[in-house]
Amino acid sequence: MSRGSGGGYDRHITIFSPEGRLFQVEYAFKAVKAAGITSIGVRGKDSVCVVTQKKVPDKLLDHTSVTHLFPITKYLGLLATGVTADARTLVQQARNEAAEFRFRYGYEMPVDVLAKWIADKSQIYTQHAYMRPLGVVAMVLGIDEEYGPRLYKCDPAGHYFGHKATSAGLKEQEAINFLEKKMKNDPQFTYEETVQTAISALQSVLQEDFKATEIEVGVVRKENPVFRVLSTEEIDEHLTAISERD
Amino acid sequence: MGDSQYSFSLTTFSPSGKLVQIEHALTAVGSGQTSLGIKAANGVVIATEKKLPSILVDETSVRDISSLFFHKSQPFSCLLFRCHFLILFFFLNYLWQVQKIQILTPNIGVVYSGMGPDFRVLVRKSRKQAEQYHRLYKEPIPVTQLVRETAAVMQEFTQSGGVRPFGVSLLVAGYDDKGPQLYQVDPSGSYFSWKASAMGKNVSNAKTFLEKRYTDDMELDDAVHTAILTLKEGFEGQISGKNIEIGIIGADKKFRVLTSAEIDDYLAEVE
Repeated sequence: MSRGSGGGYDRHITIFSPEGRLFQVEYAFKAVKAAGITSIGVRGKDSVCVVTQKKVPDKLLDHTSVTHLFPITKYLGLLATGVTADARTLVQQARNEAAEFRFRYGYEMPVDVLAKWIADKSQIYTQHAYMRPLGVVAMVLGIDEEYGPRLYKCDPAGHYFGHKATSAGLKEQEAINFLEKKMKNDPQFTYEETVQTAISALQSVLQEDFKATEIEVGVVRKENPVFRVLSTEEIDEHLTAISERD
Repeated sequence: MGDSQYSFSLTTFSPSGKLVQIEHALTAVGSGQTSLGIKAANGVVIATEKKLPSILVDETSVRDISSLFFHKSQPFSCLLFRCHFLILFFFLNYLWQVQKIQILTPNIGVVYSGMGPDFRVLVRKSRKQAEQYHRLYKEPIPVTQLVRETAAVMQEFTQSGGVRPFGVSLLVAGYDDKGPQLYQVDPSGSYFSWKASAMGKNVSNAKTFLEKRYTDDMELDDAVHTAILTLKEGFEGQISGKNIEIGIIGADKKFRVLTSAEIDDYLAEVE
């Protein structure tokens, strides 16, 4: 007679449940949603844009220190949705890895290599009991020398895919439905269209209009492949353009 | 392999003598996308469903790397061949995109059912083992050896401290001096040679279908058609070159993944 769930530990560490599931990984996904933020990434013809909510819970907080957008190298950006502390360690390790790559091989770490590295690290946490999976979904963006603008999403299970557009966080499914409609005919967005699609997707899914201080926007463009966080003035311009368009 | 904080194994015997973690791992495999393999008289074919989670996923990040690989593996001389072997592996690990069928050596390929991230780990380890064998013996690793070493890794993770078994079953297809071979490796680390096998969601129907259709003197092309028909049996939705992957190896001993155009041609022949 099998003992069923192996002593009930399948919910505490990453071992298999009787149905062949990894509960800790599933709970990690829930932790991403529990952070209460939604993020969106859109890839255009020659640029990539990521947008996320910026919730500053307390007016006494220094709002410049509240961020989910991190440059990993000058050319690679990472948007971490979920548990902020886990996000920071991931960013720290990713920065180290990217710098070592540059030193070891003499050229900048490409986007997909970084995404694969993050995903492989996440896989280790799903297989070894001594570390829990990180409660972070990471969106990595950059301009690849051969393939142009690239957006990858890495999750706590160790999966990673390249995306034309994607979302993570609380309203992930609604945002993906919205984006699927927009991207159905494989449109080739210009830079402005890319940014505006991303911002308007967020607005539509959360059903509120944002002020420039309530969202964070990060971009990479082919003509300037440096990862940049937009200033509030630039975000305001895009917001105005969106409201005029509607 | 064991983590120092966990000096005890997480996979332990139940009172009835079963290793339940391995059984659960097999359940995880059984809920993965269907894949199958068929050994023909002059080659082996492996195939799998490739259902991406959303249309937003970038298909071009599911790239076919066999073109690069062909170019690199022409042996001009022993020395150059070895260099190319190494360059190939260097590239392979960085060029990984969302392609389910992977090349382990120029004459051995592998497909899985189950958890993708676990598969990546095994592919990386197997490639390294193959390369170490080559460095030591100056010849390509035989299929049985590679399968045995990969299976040993999978078994380690059922016994070492602080780790769980791999949630994948592998189908390894290769062609060496002993001819075409097809092996299935399970999460427990046990492996068998098969004439034809299937794994994943639709395994019982697929295996029944294969048992009826398999003949010992099948040619590679027949095997590809049979593979497609078997996948079609349990396929939800419209089958096309974009949502299945097929890898073949023939008497030329070069494993390659078919392009979606080639798959569409085979599909047209099958209709």
